[in-house]
Amino acid sequence: MGDLEEDHAAEIVIDTRIDAAGIPIVSVSGELDSSNAASLEATVASIAAGHTERLVFDFSGLQFMDSAGIAVLVGVAAKVKAVQLREPSQAVRRVIELTGLSGVLPIEP
Amino acid sequence: MASVAFLLGLAVTAGFTLTSLALYDHNENHLLRLRARQVGSVLTAAVPSIQSTLASAAELADATGGNAQKFRQFMAPYAGPGRQFASASLWPLQASKLAPTVVVGTAPVLASLPAQARSLFAHAEHTRLLNTAGILGSAHPSVGFEFSTPDVKHGFAVYVENPLPKDRHSALAGNSAFSDLNYVLYLGRSRNPKNLLVTSLHRFPIKGRRASDVVPFGDSAFTLVVTPRGPLGGTFFASLPWIIVIVGVLISLAAALMTDRLARRRQHAEQLTGVLDRVAAENHQLYTEQRGIAQTLQHALLPDTLPDFKGLQVSARYVPAASGIDVGGDWYDVVAIDDRRVLLVIGDVSGHGLHAATTMALLRHATLAYAAEERDPATVLTKLSDFVNSGAHDYFATMLCALIDTDAHRLTIASAGHMAPLLIDGDDGRYPEIDANVPIGVERSSDYQETTVSVAPNATLVAFTDGLVERRGEVLDTGLDRLRDAATGQRLALDDLVAMVTRDVASEAHQDDTAIVVIKWET
Repeated sequence: MGDLEEDHAAEIVIDTRIDAAGIPIVSVSGELDSSNAASLEATVASIAAGHTERLVFDFSGLQFMDSAGIAVLVGVAAKVKAVQLREPSQAVRRVIELTGLSGVLPIEP
Repeated sequence: MASVAFLLGLAVTAGFTLTSLALYDHNENHLLRLRARQVGSVLTAAVPSIQSTLASAAELADATGGNAQKFRQFMAPYAGPGRQFASASLWPLQASKLAPTVVVGTAPVLASLPAQARSLFAHAEHTRLLNTAGILGSAHPSVGFEFSTPDVKHGFAVYVENPLPKDRHSALAGNSAFSDLNYVLYLGRSRNPKNLLVTSLHRFPIKGRRASDVVPFGDSAFTLVVTPRGPLGGTFFASLPWIIVIVGVLISLAAALMTDRLARRRQHAEQLTGVLDRVAAENHQLYTEQRGIAQTLQHALLPDTLPDFKGLQVSARYVPAASGIDVGGDWYDVVAIDDRRVLLVIGDVSGHGLHAATTMALLRHATLAYAAEERDPATVLTKLSDFVNSGAHDYFATMLCALIDTDAHRLTIASAGHMAPLLIDGDDGRYPEIDANVPIGVERSSDYQETTVSVAPNATLVAFTDGLVERRGEVLDTGLDRLRDAATGQRLALDDLVAMVTRDVASEAHQDDTAIVVIKWET
């Protein structure tokens, strides 16, 4: 069982709320990677189904994101017209930029 | 297990019971000895009162010359029906014929036994003690005692007698201090049945617990044997061993049942554990198999050995994630377009496992098909993007297409969300500025841009996937700088450079799989 046990899930906290304007805000803090991207995907899928106009990810508490995280965001962007990233760290921002996704996943001013 | 617990419980119970029995036995014996001594002391206390009565009567007779009236007067309170003695008589010792001169109460049996009377008085003359006549007569046996003051001329002996009770049996009164005992009283120091005086028992000999005491009585003694009618220490202590036995057996039974139950549960748990272990083993096997299939597929899809290209040295390597969930979808290709141009493709399909590997296969072959028709990397990517987005899909891929012009020392790069390659010119390493563009599979009808850069002689191109530079807790640029610093200025053979970079630059954990392709212009 050794190999299975080595895949410890990274720490992640997902918090969702609807702001005053009716826009869903998904706050993700911790480290988003292949070990926990599925849980974010499941959470966001149910929200995206009911809010296809706009969705905001609050990444102010997110320290790390790998390609599995990007995949989740890209998947959301395919269903929701406007997906925005709020306060991503420099590391997350560079992943978005270098992956050529700045247009698909715009960073909020 | 259950029977062991039961037997263990029984053994402990037996131990406690035996201890308790031994203690009870010891205690009862001790108590009985005490009681025997108590009875003995009561008897001992009776001796002086009898002796003093008889001695006083003897002195009176000696002093009065055997005055019959005085003797009768003196003995009246002591002798007669319902009194201390059944019979009291006065015997002149020096008379020619030995016979009582005065009798109070019934006639003494001794009077009809001259031989025994002579023997008694002859012996009595020289003692200052109460003398015992022994048990007299056979039909209605009596016991008699005598006292005479020694060395008195024409002295008198006082003799008292009491018949023994019928069958020599006499029960103690229920309110007596000794009602908890049965007793046997013998005259003399032996337990000869002939000398039995009185007993509360009907049967002999005494069985079971008994204690005896010898009480001196005049020139003789009484031998007292007592046996308890019930437990002297109280019924609780008598029943304690039984209580221990019953409670112990019950506890043993309970322990046996509990052990049995625990054993069953444990067996059940072990069975469950066995099942779980088997499931885990099966899962692990499936996981290993799936990983193995994906890995096999990936390796099968990657070029085993790259062909030789005129004017170029090429080296490539694929490093799977060290542990990871599954293999990734990283791939690379280096194909000759014509005798002076080579197309480099490197890509990374999102996700892991069989799905990523098959998607990578699809993209790889589609890319090669478009590359056969189109020369411009940007057009290849645009066509590929159109192809991918024409169907439903749930993946995306970053890709780098680079057209290498060996002779012209020119490089045309188009990226679909993929990091720019490192370009090394001697001691100078840089990442050319290129348009990142969106990854394949994200947007419909994307228009991909390409960038052309001039390459210095003997330059080295390092293309890679993000597993090489991505590390937790740092910005990607840090990883890019690390790669540039490690690879630039090296004078290594190309294969050694690839080995060094994969060893030194990638994170030690190898959390993601990594593909790396290095191309060096020979001129």
